[in-house]
Amino acid sequence: MDIWVILGPVIMLFLVLGFVTYAILFERKVIGWIQNRVGPTQVGPWGLLQTVADVLKLLIKEDIIPRKADVGLFKLAPVLAFIPAFAVIAVIPFTESIKFADIAVGLLYYMSISSITIIGVLLGGWASNNKYSLLGGMRSAAQMVSYEIPLVLSVVGVIMSAGSLNLTEIVHAQQTGAWFIFPQFLGFIVFLIASIAELNRTPFDLPEAESELVAGYHTEYTGFRFAFFMLTEYTYIFGMASLITILYLGGWDAPFGLTFIPPLIWFILKFSLFVFFLFWLRATMPRIRGDQLMEFAWKGLLPLAIFNIFLTAILKEVSFLSHYF
Amino acid sequence: MFGLLKGLGITLKNMAKPKVTYKYPHEPLKMPDRFRGIQHFDPEKCIVCNQCARICPTDCISLTGKKHPDPGKKGKIIDTYDINFEICILCDLCTEVCPTEAIIMTNNFELATYSRDQLFKNIDWLHENDQNIRQDNVSMKPKPGGSKA
Repeated sequence: MDIWVILGPVIMLFLVLGFVTYAILFERKVIGWIQNRVGPTQVGPWGLLQTVADVLKLLIKEDIIPRKADVGLFKLAPVLAFIPAFAVIAVIPFTESIKFADIAVGLLYYMSISSITIIGVLLGGWASNNKYSLLGGMRSAAQMVSYEIPLVLSVVGVIMSAGSLNLTEIVHAQQTGAWFIFPQFLGFIVFLIASIAELNRTPFDLPEAESELVAGYHTEYTGFRFAFFMLTEYTYIFGMASLITILYLGGWDAPFGLTFIPPLIWFILKFSLFVFFLFWLRATMPRIRGDQLMEFAWKGLLPLAIFNIFLTAILKEVSFLSHYF
Repeated sequence: MFGLLKGLGITLKNMAKPKVTYKYPHEPLKMPDRFRGIQHFDPEKCIVCNQCARICPTDCISLTGKKHPDPGKKGKIIDTYDINFEICILCDLCTEVCPTEAIIMTNNFELATYSRDQLFKNIDWLHENDQNIRQDNVSMKPKPGGSKA
């Protein structure tokens, strides 16, 4: 067996952990700057060890399981939430050569595996035997299921244009034509909004609304298990940022012929842009109202996503535009 | 729709603005000049008139005087002067009533200690508390190079 089959995922896991550590620090820094503060500065130079200290604190905390909780499910839930989050990274191609699995239905794999996390979240809410957790879990499940549909439908336009579900092929299609953010702008907007809702981030952070649900589905979780839920969330940011880079921002493709910058750097740049956008949005937007959440998904995003599919199908037949679609 | 973009624009611009936070424990805070901080006491000026002790609403000032060592001079000089910062409310009345400005306010405010006993400040401590004196009173102090004004 090839050594990389084992070593590769381990390196990836540490890369993801590193990303999560510094994404959290960067999030706090960005929100601080936007609020005219400086953010964490105390632990390590420039606050670089702040998240490390926070995680260390979580790890040495007492592991509390409520007496009336369903112990088996309670322990299973964070695992079930995290595994899909890490498994989806398998199909992400970072450059032409750096990738794990190059399967033909990569996009479908991502979408289907990532929905397993909902079960983990719902399970965590149910097993905690706490009303707030259950409400948070139910809300989370309802929200993630609802927003999954516009999310998947919005990428249908990309699939039609690229003619493939393989993520590498999708990037190749963008290298010959234009990045899909331009011809598929409507689809991009729907995908962007739906992906933020999928990530349970502001303004769609209703499942974790600290102010109304005492943090939602992970209220009863402490220490290591809680850390796993947080890790899941930020791993999904990693996955979603990679996916949006590949689907709409041309993956590792260099714009304006700036090919002297290596493809991996381009990927990281586009990736960071999306991650920054998430933090920026969090510092700007208040939480959306609960009763408008479902309406927005079903009556707003879903018709737009379907309209985008029809639009793509029609524009594909227009002779002078078909190069881009 | 455009409201959302406008909001994003405002927050993005905010990132470049100067920070409003202080590095307080690392850098001392600059207080406005009329701040009512811990008193500075100048025994040279005190005429032991007892007005500060009488006006004090919490009775936190206690002082004693003694006869002037020079027998040719009348009046008293200060012997002990204590302020109990457990109960002092830093109301500024003692400094307002003092006819000779022997007791004046500073901008210092850090009184946190591990023991209550340490909050009982005596004449020497109050005299050494001579930094960040209120500007109004600084003009009354003798200048090192003689009066220039």
